[in-house]
Amino acid sequence: MPQLVTVRIGRPNGRPIRIWVPVLPLVLALSPLLVLAVPAAVVACLRYRVSAVQALSTGWRVVGALPGARFDLEQGRTAVHVAIR
Amino acid sequence: MNDQRKDILDLLAEGKITATEAEQLIAALEPALAPAAVGLDARPKGRPKYLRVLVDTVENGEPGRVNVRVPLQLLRAGVRLAALIPPQALGRANTELGKSGIPVDLTQLRPEQLEALVEHLDEMTVDIDQPDAKVRVFCE
Repeated sequence: MPQLVTVRIGRPNGRPIRIWVPVLPLVLALSPLLVLAVPAAVVACLRYRVSAVQALSTGWRVVGALPGARFDLEQGRTAVHVAIR
Repeated sequence: MNDQRKDILDLLAEGKITATEAEQLIAALEPALAPAAVGLDARPKGRPKYLRVLVDTVENGEPGRVNVRVPLQLLRAGVRLAALIPPQALGRANTELGKSGIPVDLTQLRPEQLEALVEHLDEMTVDIDQPDAKVRVFCE
């Protein structure tokens, strides 16, 4: 599971903005929403005849495979870097 | 050193064959030695973990760069997500693709086939060189 998401936004004028997002505290903070989102996802799975267990396990796999992903975009003096650890 | 090569060099040292003959004999051995050598070099140093996409462009005189690193594990997980797409959605997607002139039947795509595709991505390298853009896609 991802531990930290790092975002750096370089602007043409001024200092770059750096944001570190610790995933676990964020998930804990949003857990009340997750409690609502999971049943909603299960209902959607049942509605569209998709295995809810398979969908949840696949979703977890996707989240678990995120660490190591990195996206760097630069155009002139503007840049966006996103790294998931 | 290979035994056969050593024998040839011994014969040369003993003066039983000339240097030219030794060279010809060693050259004749090369095809037999080559597969072993290639096999050693081709042995994977480790399974690739990431798909890298590097794009260098120049747009309106400004250099641009895209550097994406996607874990192959994420692609595999994504392939499993594709298996969860409801048949109705696949039907709609097929219709829209057909309208766009892309006659692809997505319902025929099996997760196993997509997984096999991802498995073999590590052997793929794409290099595109243009005056104003350079694209590289590879696994590492």
